[in-house]
Amino acid sequence: MGNLVQAELRKTTTTGLWWGLLIPTAVLALGWGLATGLLGQFFVDLASSSDVDEVSDFLGVTPDQWKISLFGIARAINVSTIFPLIFGALAVSGEIQRRTITTTFLTAPSRMQAMLAKMLVYILWGAIYGLAIMAFIALGVVLTSNSGQLPDAGGWAMLTLVCVLSSILMTMFGVGVGALIPNVAGSVVILILYFLVIENVLHFVLAYLEVPSVIGFLPNGSINGLTGSVAVDLFLSTAGVVPPEIEDVLRAIAGASGALDWWWSGLVFVAWAGVVFAGGWAATQSKDIT
Amino acid sequence: MHDGSGLIAVQNLTKQFGSVAAVQNLSFTVSPGSVTGFLGPNGAGKTTTLRMLLGLVKPTSGIATINGRPFHQLGQPGRVVGAVLEAQGFHPARTARNHLRVYAAAIGVPDAQADQVLGLVGLASAADRNVGGFSLGMKQRLALATALLGDPQVLVLDEPANGLDPEGIAWLRTFLQSYARMGRTVLISSHLLAEVEQTVDQVVIISRGQTMFYGPLDQLRQSQRKRVLVQPSDVNSLATALRTAGVHVEQLPDGRLAVSGVDAKYVADTALQANVSIYGIQEEQVDLEQLFFQLTSGQYAGYAPAPYQQQQQQQGGWA
Repeated sequence: MGNLVQAELRKTTTTGLWWGLLIPTAVLALGWGLATGLLGQFFVDLASSSDVDEVSDFLGVTPDQWKISLFGIARAINVSTIFPLIFGALAVSGEIQRRTITTTFLTAPSRMQAMLAKMLVYILWGAIYGLAIMAFIALGVVLTSNSGQLPDAGGWAMLTLVCVLSSILMTMFGVGVGALIPNVAGSVVILILYFLVIENVLHFVLAYLEVPSVIGFLPNGSINGLTGSVAVDLFLSTAGVVPPEIEDVLRAIAGASGALDWWWSGLVFVAWAGVVFAGGWAATQSKDIT
Repeated sequence: MHDGSGLIAVQNLTKQFGSVAAVQNLSFTVSPGSVTGFLGPNGAGKTTTLRMLLGLVKPTSGIATINGRPFHQLGQPGRVVGAVLEAQGFHPARTARNHLRVYAAAIGVPDAQADQVLGLVGLASAADRNVGGFSLGMKQRLALATALLGDPQVLVLDEPANGLDPEGIAWLRTFLQSYARMGRTVLISSHLLAEVEQTVDQVVIISRGQTMFYGPLDQLRQSQRKRVLVQPSDVNSLATALRTAGVHVEQLPDGRLAVSGVDAKYVADTALQANVSIYGIQEEQVDLEQLFFQLTSGQYAGYAPAPYQQQQQQQGGWA
């Protein structure tokens, strides 16, 4: 098994795909980080100048102390993890398209072991992407935010944890979809469409139908909930007593409408990734490689 | 795990792709120590059979084993069997050496083995070039290098001569023969008997997914029959005279007679007795290639082109 893991690791390091996708990831994360700080500053200025005393009262802190960057960071993580998702999707579909899957199966004791080794290596890559995403978001946010709006050390640690976790889970989800839809263009297009368009429309419809709690059980809803809920929790921990209506608004801003607690959200997405991977594994297991 | 016999056994193997029967009830065995040719026209089911043997395609029924075991029970398959299935299974942006290092890791052999097999197939100077820039012949060599990584006991090659230049084919022939002489098993497929005639000791000939001949190449050579082609002054008289003597005679479209089972002298003597003149006589040796065509003919055979007469018909319409 160790042999196969090393083989899979070498597959990923001997082509340029890992850095080819890491560059746009870093640019996107940095851009969101910068925008988060600038937008947050704009919002805080606006809030300070107008009569937002009421809001300040029940948040218990003045606007310049709002940890507004938390929401932007949560959103930035969600958007940036689309790249590890694509990286994962290419793991199996790329091998089938390039026909290297033949040699992969000829040199592995079983297809099951080849797939497991691949999954382990892509978990590692998911973690690397997650750390890079957090680093570039943090860079952007720190450059453009006042220190009062930044999370504290514990907050950063928590955000880094969920960012890495989110990135790993998205990569695993991608690996499963790429095995289920063994076509590079097909799997990538479907994933991007689903995560950026289809599910957002679904969220809107579910909110309109007044069943927003369903959102937290959908793939994108749950992975957003993982990061968004942590952001809201951190924000609220420095604020005072917040009425439930305002909390709902804050959740929506963080991209975690209808989401469960962060760890529940994570477990829901783990279940999704597990279902997709099992499907992809089953498809690969019985596939005739002609 | 496996018995280490080096034996390939295919028993009643059948594969149905939808309504298409790619392979039908195929059986043969391949022993170590010899090069076995797996022959048949394009579409006869050779590639499907080899892929079933290698666990890449699941048989509809029947079983194919290497060393007494199906492929997925071999444990470390890369150390038992090496396969060259197609010259396309490479990432174009990966170098030849990195390609081999990936699979050296998977098989569990030291990285030095990658350079060794590169040298063996004559690609040492191209080791650090991206495979995307390789010619078909170089890709074939790299595919063979990949197959040799685990120093396997059994070597399976699907049309390995594709894309190789005459020098490469000569080199491959020598290589495979010496590999088999070390007591290993070599199974090599081709759609051209002539291409492998000098390489193989045994042949399995299939057509339409079924075995047509299976045995030593020498046996196939001995089974070929001589024919005498004769141009007599009176075809019917000579044919009658020969048939009376119990000889098989066939009339050819060009007006000649094809006489089997006897030599030219016998035909000439018979003609003399029947008062028939002979304008031309010739002994014909049916070569292996023709025998191969006879064994495999029929599948996907096209019609002869129709005579060009469309214009005449049109003119007829005007008349």
